Amino acid sequence: MSSDVRFTDFKSDKQPTWCPGCGDFGTMNGMMKALAETGNDPDNTFVVAGIGCSGKIGTYMHSYALHGVHGRALPVATGVKMARPDIEVMAAGGDGDGYSIGAGHFVHAVRRNVDMSYVVMDNRIYGLTKGQASPTSRSDFETSTTPEGPKQPPVNPLALALASGASFIAQSFASDALRHQEIIQEAIEHDGFGFVNVFSPCVTFNDVDTYDYFRDNLVDLQDEGHDPNDYEAAKEVILDSDKEYQGVMYQDENSVPYHEKHGVTEDMSEIPDGAPEDAMDLVREFY
Amino acid sequence: MAEDLNWAVGGEAGDGIDSTGKIFAQALARAGRHVFTSKDFASRIRGGYTAYKIRTSVEEVQSVVDRLDILVALTQRTIDENLDELHEGSAIIYDGERSWEAEIPDEMTAVDVPLKSLAEDAGGAIMRNIVALGAACEITDFDVEYLDEALEKRFGGKGSQIVENNKEAARLGQEYVAENYDLEHLGYSVETTDNDYVLLNGNEAIGMGAIAAGCRFYAGYPITPATSIMEYLTGRIEDYGGHVVQAEDELSAINMALGGARAGARSMTATSGAGIDLMTETFGLVATSETPLVIADVQRSGPSTGMPTKQEQGDLNMALYGGHGEVPRFVITPTSITECFWKTVEAFNLAEKYQTPVFLVSDLAMSVTEQTFPPEAFDMDDVEIDRGKLVDDDEVDEWLDAQGHFRAHAVTDDGVSPRAIPGTVDGAHMSTGLEHDELGRRTEDQDERVQQVDKRYRKVETAQEEEDWDYREFGDEDADNLIISWGSNEGALVEALDYLEDDGIDVRVISVPYIFPRPDLSEEIEAADDVIVVECNATGQFADLIEHDVLTRVKRINKYTGVRFKADELAEQITEQLSAEVPAQ
Ligand SMILES: Cc1ncc(C[n+]2csc(CCOP(=O)(O)OP(=O)(O)O)c2C)c(N)n1
Ligand code: SF4
Repeated sequence: MSSDVRFTDFKSDKQPTWCPGCGDFGTMNGMMKALAETGNDPDNTFVVAGIGCSGKIGTYMHSYALHGVHGRALPVATGVKMARPDIEVMAAGGDGDGYSIGAGHFVHAVRRNVDMSYVVMDNRIYGLTKGQASPTSRSDFETSTTPEGPKQPPVNPLALALASGASFIAQSFASDALRHQEIIQEAIEHDGFGFVNVFSPCVTFNDVDTYDYFRDNLVDLQDEGHDPNDYEAAKEVILDSDKEYQGVMYQDENSVPYHEKHGVTEDMSEIPDGAPEDAMDLVREFY
Repeated sequence: MAEDLNWAVGGEAGDGIDSTGKIFAQALARAGRHVFTSKDFASRIRGGYTAYKIRTSVEEVQSVVDRLDILVALTQRTIDENLDELHEGSAIIYDGERSWEAEIPDEMTAVDVPLKSLAEDAGGAIMRNIVALGAACEITDFDVEYLDEALEKRFGGKGSQIVENNKEAARLGQEYVAENYDLEHLGYSVETTDNDYVLLNGNEAIGMGAIAAGCRFYAGYPITPATSIMEYLTGRIEDYGGHVVQAEDELSAINMALGGARAGARSMTATSGAGIDLMTETFGLVATSETPLVIADVQRSGPSTGMPTKQEQGDLNMALYGGHGEVPRFVITPTSITECFWKTVEAFNLAEKYQTPVFLVSDLAMSVTEQTFPPEAFDMDDVEIDRGKLVDDDEVDEWLDAQGHFRAHAVTDDGVSPRAIPGTVDGAHMSTGLEHDELGRRTEDQDERVQQVDKRYRKVETAQEEEDWDYREFGDEDADNLIISWGSNEGALVEALDYLEDDGIDVRVISVPYIFPRPDLSEEIEAADDVIVVECNATGQFADLIEHDVLTRVKRINKYTGVRFKADELAEQITEQLSAEVPAQ
């Protein structure tokens, strides 16, 4: 089926309930196009989504999918990939989902280097719960729960990933459709954990990190001649808090994904009709 | 009752107590004797009293008793802790050369063996425990060759020199006792048979059951006493194409297992205590997304961190009711080590047949107890696999709606929907913890909500009708006295029957391996005069359920000291309860 898959095959017929103009529309389109472009089809793709406006993405796409509990998309996606190394696995969610309640899972999914892509729609706010501070909100960003701003520095998810031993770190902007799609494609094609933080503006609750803001401030690493295989250069752009970058910041050319390192190659859904043939050996071990 | 021999080795945690005990238990099993072991251990790695106890007989043994015949005491505390169980004919093996002066009651036989120096003669002080085992063989007139076999099994992987050194250490211990003591008067002689037994504990049985049942993916986070399930599977499940992931926490573990299950693999996680609390978050998701998942809870003393190394059956309510909202699930409680195996197999079948979480609730006593069984008790030919309504490419068509979407949560008469796993052509679908329609798409429509809730509970009704939710029964079927128990108390109860019989008391014992759904015991209860529910918790969680089912009060025996029931103790308490008043309505 793969050869004639179109990106619309990844679209469900459910109409998104996102606010008109929400960055998540662009993020999702890029994901669907990237999946189709990389030769996947809905029957061989598994999308795991988090909770939040962003987490609804799984509902609006068509593939095998699970929309789970808040913050746990990465463990679910890890389980899917372990059981089925033959399946394309993508996890998606928001900044609150991924860097707050799911932060522990993020660190460990990164260091496990499971072969999947992880797309975080970073709007620097909690959208679905109507506008509270998120871990990536600016320290002076006023919200219903932080009337004077959170007064603590935002999490730098790219640095967190780098420190956790990431093999692929990228950032994109939902409204720069072509670049966004390209970057997601690279994440999918990467052998290992392909992490993409996507600037995906919330038009309803965040009037600071807007489309205009990103358009005016975004620097494309491609234009800068950045070499993603250069760890030191990657460190520099990732730790540079004065600028907003898009592009692939870091990619480990020698990345070996978890399942290969651990010899997990079989489709685990296939099992015999009864106990395995040599199962009595398991009993004999106890003699 | 045949002659029992009760043996123990005790010392500080870190002294190798566990492996010493296990080696002797294996030697006894190889000699065709039944073995039942128990462990006393504290929740620390070094320091703290630890003991490994063995009860052995040529007849089946299923419980611990308050009696110790031979004690290998590596510390004074070992003697002090066990004084109650030692008797006039007990022999205590200790090392008088070591720093402590053993205070051994006069009426007992002190067997002073220079364990450390003999071990050094054999090649290293580390083997002092093996010297003691050799000494124990001499005292009990037990052929040291069985010990040799156990040592080969234990150390074979480390090279022949290590095996030979250990055998030598055992010989030196044996010879020392033979030369320096005449212990014939103690009258110990360990009869052997030609039987071949396997020796294993409940967690190993669960792990083995999982592999036999086709479990391929396991995710867990270490916690006592569940960890050994993960340890068993690691290194074995790979041989069958599976994999174990040590997750970063229990939230992750259960979600990983859920992912594995949704991808089509038979998947499992296991935990205990604080871990099951964390997993509770995902119970509802497993149920509403209709994912087949086996979740084992090896109960320990709670609440909170409680007593991590002690026995309890306190999680029944958690297994039944844990999670917000109303969550359909099955709760299975193996009653013995063999049942740990068979119920694990059954748990995987039920999970897939009904696409629902299955809680396999075991307990610490079963998880650390090693017991002998004839290998046929785990006959792999009897393992049957039922994957339920798993559809393939050809069967998908039947379940597509007019637009060609797969109805993964189709409302059916039996409540069970078709299941398509990734790769199945046209089976792609969404599943979610949100309430959803037949296609898995979020809905808040009142009719659809009610249909899905009803559908999920209808699976339980179907299972209630189609499966055998029976019980195990012992004792006198016509007795007026009925004892009901769940989980690991079964063995002690079965042995308690012997004591009760000696006192002329007839009882009928019903041991229940299913908590939800559970067998209807109303007829049995009506037929009895006295009904006593036995369990290791303070409040009588199972007794509450029984009272709820039959609308009558029952008597209760509850133990929550952290120690499992003993047969003689149970017999005493049953006798006491039989003459007590039934609690008021
Ligand atoms: C355990 C749990 N706690 C809290 C919530 C409520 N909740 C839903 S979405 C959300 C935050 C979402 O923020 P983010 O991940 O940034 O996604 P966005 O809506 O902005 O896309 C919260 C706190 C929940 N669903 N589950
Ligand atoms: S609230 Fe914000 S994040 Fe949520 S849909 Fe609306 S614009 Fe998007």
